[in-house]
Amino acid sequence: MSALLEVRNVSLAFGGVKALRDVSLDVNEGEILSIIGPNGAGKTTLFNVISGVYRPSSGSVRFEGRELVGMPLHRIAALGIARTYQVVRPFPRLSVVDNVAVAALIKERSLDAARRAAREVVDSVGLGRLAEADAGTLTLTQRKRLEVARALALRPKLILLDEVMAGLTPTEMDEMAQFVLGLRERGIGAVAGIEHVMRLVLRISDRIVVLDAGTKIAEGAPAEVISDPRVVEAYLGAPLAGV
Amino acid sequence: MNRIALVAAVAVVAVLAAAGPFLSGYALAVVYQTLVYLALAYGWNIISGYAGYFSFGQITFFGIGAYVTALSVTNAHLDWRLGALLGGLVSMALALPIGAIMLRLRGPFFSLGMLGLAQTVRVLISSSEAMGGGTGIYLPVSVNPLVVYEWTLGVAAFAFAVTVAIDRSAFGLRLRALREDQQVAGTLGVDVTGAKIRAFLISALIPGLLGGGYAMYLTLVEPVSAFSTRLELQSIVMTVFGGIGTVWGPLVGGIVMSQISEALWARFPQAYLMIFGGLLVLFLIVLPRGVVPAIADRLKKRGGPRSFTPQAAPAARETVA
Repeated sequence: MSALLEVRNVSLAFGGVKALRDVSLDVNEGEILSIIGPNGAGKTTLFNVISGVYRPSSGSVRFEGRELVGMPLHRIAALGIARTYQVVRPFPRLSVVDNVAVAALIKERSLDAARRAAREVVDSVGLGRLAEADAGTLTLTQRKRLEVARALALRPKLILLDEVMAGLTPTEMDEMAQFVLGLRERGIGAVAGIEHVMRLVLRISDRIVVLDAGTKIAEGAPAEVISDPRVVEAYLGAPLAGV
Repeated sequence: MNRIALVAAVAVVAVLAAAGPFLSGYALAVVYQTLVYLALAYGWNIISGYAGYFSFGQITFFGIGAYVTALSVTNAHLDWRLGALLGGLVSMALALPIGAIMLRLRGPFFSLGMLGLAQTVRVLISSSEAMGGGTGIYLPVSVNPLVVYEWTLGVAAFAFAVTVAIDRSAFGLRLRALREDQQVAGTLGVDVTGAKIRAFLISALIPGLLGGGYAMYLTLVEPVSAFSTRLELQSIVMTVFGGIGTVWGPLVGGIVMSQISEALWARFPQAYLMIFGGLLVLFLIVLPRGVVPAIADRLKKRGGPRSFTPQAAPAARETVA
């Protein structure tokens, strides 16, 4: 059986900067793949390529066998790919429930039905009491939840979580990890971009891909990836010789 | 938005329609002018208020509507209302390619692009012999101003009804989403290009329908009045003052501003524009989002439980899943 998402030999350059070089990876149904790598490794760029924001210079991205490269954003969303943004981007002058209803409209015909569906999702992420507030008034943590709520309201098969842990307190990180693990039970695949929090990466990931300077330097089960010398070098620098 | 206000709006349209024959020539002219402004404002509010594409050139379609009507009446001897309807449809048809190009521009570039479009079309028509050049085309004087008034009232009511329908629809929510952030709207499944082009077509249809009536009312169509910068700016200012992207903003802004403008003009005939401009600046500093959103916010705050601020709701911290 072929994978849910197949990224093949994707490269992308901005001017002279090669943001991604020949990156390939698979995500299976209900699988949690973590993409780790230092700041600037290309994680967000990869998310932008998969979700259709950027067009790769070369390579292909297939979802359930369909080529995504060149497809408009909304059609990619309609196929079942949701994403969250690293820098949370709510629609500030729309209410929390309307922020989510925009996404729910992909499955619901009427605005009323979309708002009802949105309301359920909003409640499920713990924002129920703020449903009517303008999203612009939310705190950062609440905005992160809203970001997740909008992604869920698309009822996706795959969620791309860009820097899910950034800006969260340790308790909130644990809640987020719990949430990501919950996706697997619901059969939703996830690609989680995570910069540093190794403890959580090990806990939530089925597999790990390591990016460094736009190149995939390692891939595999969490335990083996973490002990890979190339990964240690990328993260911690080369072992100091002769000390 | 409540039902009572909508019933009131329908009643106002009915009263205005019934009152037409009893209005004096001056009163008819004043109400007619106001209706033109209101309808233009409602038309502009769809693309610029809901979709956030601030256009300085929707008057282009008003002018196109006026010229299509004039040519239909003088060349094809059509009933002018048929001509005006045709003017609306031609405007909408032309808006498709124009929108496909212009809507690629963002922010001030779109605004300036539309301004340039209006001026370009005006100059093109001014230099066309077939279109009457700079002098324009004279139209039969046999048309009853009351019929033009009724036509315009109909278009204004239509523009209002379309706005109410959009405000309550999935389409309206999609427009507001793309106004806030096009890329995020796209990743959440909004067909951004399709939605904004549709909004642009509606915002071309309404002025297109109005232009013909205006030409018949003046019994003349010529470039300066057909592509009137004054009409354009006045309708924009009304909407911004009342509340951009709201159902009631153009109406409230239109009524308040025309009242202030009339009162000032009567008392300070020399300095009224200056005072008016000053007042406008003051209003926009105090109420930058317009009158209607400011009132709505007040009501929300009084309403209590609907007004959760993050500080007021610490209990919203439950588990993420």
